[in-house]
Amino acid sequence: MATERIEIEGHIIDSLILAKVLDLIVAAGADYQVVAVDIGRTQNDPSRVVLDVSALDDDSLSALLETVQVHGANRLAERDAVLVACDRDGVLPEGFYSTTNLPTSVRLDGRWHPVVNPEMDCGLIAGGDEVRTVPMHRVRAGDEVVVGYGGVRVEAPSKARGVTFEFMSSEVSSEKPKALLVSQVADRLRAARAQGTKILVVAGPAVVHTGAAPPLATLVREGWVDLLFAGNGFATHDMESNVLGTSLGVSIDAGLPIEHGHSNHLRVINEIRRRGSIAQAVADGYVTGGVMYECVRRGLPFVLGGSVRDDGPLPDVYADVVAAVDAMRENIAGVGVALMLASTLHAIATGNILPAGVETFCVDINQAVVTKLADRGSHQALGIVTDVGLFVRDLTEQLCPR
Amino acid sequence: MSLSWGRRYLMCPPSFFGVVYEINPWMHREVTVDVDLAMEQWQHLVDVIGAAGAQVDLLESEPGLPDLVFTANAGVVSGDLFVPARFRHAERRGETPFDVAWFVAHGWRVEELPAEVDHEGAGDTLPFGAVFVSGYRWRSDARSHAAVASLTGTPVRSVELTDPRLYHLDLTFCPLDDRRALCAPDAWDDYGTKVVKELVPEPLVLELDEALSFVANSVVIDRTMLMPACPPRVGRQLEAWGFDIEVVALSEFMKAGGGPRCLTLALDVGSRLLDQPEQQ
Repeated sequence: MATERIEIEGHIIDSLILAKVLDLIVAAGADYQVVAVDIGRTQNDPSRVVLDVSALDDDSLSALLETVQVHGANRLAERDAVLVACDRDGVLPEGFYSTTNLPTSVRLDGRWHPVVNPEMDCGLIAGGDEVRTVPMHRVRAGDEVVVGYGGVRVEAPSKARGVTFEFMSSEVSSEKPKALLVSQVADRLRAARAQGTKILVVAGPAVVHTGAAPPLATLVREGWVDLLFAGNGFATHDMESNVLGTSLGVSIDAGLPIEHGHSNHLRVINEIRRRGSIAQAVADGYVTGGVMYECVRRGLPFVLGGSVRDDGPLPDVYADVVAAVDAMRENIAGVGVALMLASTLHAIATGNILPAGVETFCVDINQAVVTKLADRGSHQALGIVTDVGLFVRDLTEQLCPR
Repeated sequence: MSLSWGRRYLMCPPSFFGVVYEINPWMHREVTVDVDLAMEQWQHLVDVIGAAGAQVDLLESEPGLPDLVFTANAGVVSGDLFVPARFRHAERRGETPFDVAWFVAHGWRVEELPAEVDHEGAGDTLPFGAVFVSGYRWRSDARSHAAVASLTGTPVRSVELTDPRLYHLDLTFCPLDDRRALCAPDAWDDYGTKVVKELVPEPLVLELDEALSFVANSVVIDRTMLMPACPPRVGRQLEAWGFDIEVVALSEFMKAGGGPRCLTLALDVGSRLLDQPEQQ
């Protein structure tokens, strides 16, 4: 698909020039999107319309643009993006273009290149006929970085149409029937699986505390999860509950603290450190069930990001947070749906690196957490305010009926 | 009501006129122009314009600029503003400095079109009511219309010209009064035809062969029409509307694809005569 921005100016409404140009675009089998319309108020005032015209390929687009140019529709005087080479590793040039998570294109040598991996708060690097987002710490001296706003085009988030995300009209759902929300999320997961896009789960320790780990493990086992992001706590308590039957020392079955339970998670971490990795603990038969167990069994990629309050941590945890986010980045290609389950830190970190098009469901008992994600520019995020334990159990019942 | 303009014209004697290049389908270099006859025909046109009650101002002819006689293409006049043409063909671009010099010397303000557009003056822009009807494709760009509108403060109705033989608007459209005009929709696209239809309450629709006789390239002075030809059907309708018709022989200029309108540039467009710059 090739796209070019054109502009038509003058008394184009009364002269039917606009109608003619739009007719010509449609007749050529191309498509247009109105970018800006400024209709003259009186018949003396000129009008101006800016259109993005898209055709199947560059050749048919140039032929069409030539046709409409006769009628006064001209390519908007756009220039190539300015590139400046980084002069040192990990530092972007001054005035670098700071990205959004929206679909973005960069004009180089007169052609628009779609950004391969939209991510917010990054720089744009051009090289090898493609443009990529790169976080600050990953640029290297000599990388050609887009500077300024010229030659960069961002697609406005389109209103989701049809069945997709119909229920997103209100961002937060505290007063919505939960059963309906759960079945709609289930539908989106089914759709993602049917389309072959990946399902990402970001889980916080409350998933285990509320008893949702076993149903989540079922979802993993049944192929409803393709990728897991979490922290040291979630993985620890998931395995603690498997090995010792407690989550942070509280019995999962009885809901009561058990004696000396506060040290349970440390003992589990210690044992897994002894074995070198979660995978080894599973292989040794030390961990025999739960979410981490199912991930290892299925060979599911998981990224455990560390933080300053971590005990242990588990040997699989990235203690370097920058390396943790990089590891998350390496895995997010192809994610279509993200389920953020009772996680503030990891959900926001994930929201930061996902392109805007990924459907994101943020489930938390705390309304502040679910609104936070949408506020951070994750346009496709739906917040569901509810108990995560109930939510995951209901979702699992819908997707994996016994 | 008669036209509010058309009582003062700029004309240029054909002292150096000839067909020395070919920039429209009517021009053929092998055709010889009878220079004496051309001068005679032009003088006759000047005389009948005067007789019809209009004033003629003269632009001096220049060697090497045979088409300077076609003053209609010099630019667009709007009140005390002159917007010089930007000729599509290099052959005619040499005319512009002489046109501009005349207008400056006679008290007009001059404002130029952007360099990247083509526009051939009144040949492609004729007033009708409160707007300009402007043709585009062969000689003027559609884009030039926005610039003409903004410089003159007059809305422009754009009409795409589809027949290369009728390469200027003034070969396809001739305002007669505030309600009527000669129209040759065969030389326009459907959108342009619709636009003119909306604009002109009583069009006299020309057949293609009538248009090709350059009947729309007439000079209208109040109720007098100076026509290069007058097909009987058109003549009967015009007479019924109360016009006096005078056919003026302009065979030598037709060899270059021009008629009476092309040889004249109305200087009183867009303002009452009183507001006009004084003749020096």
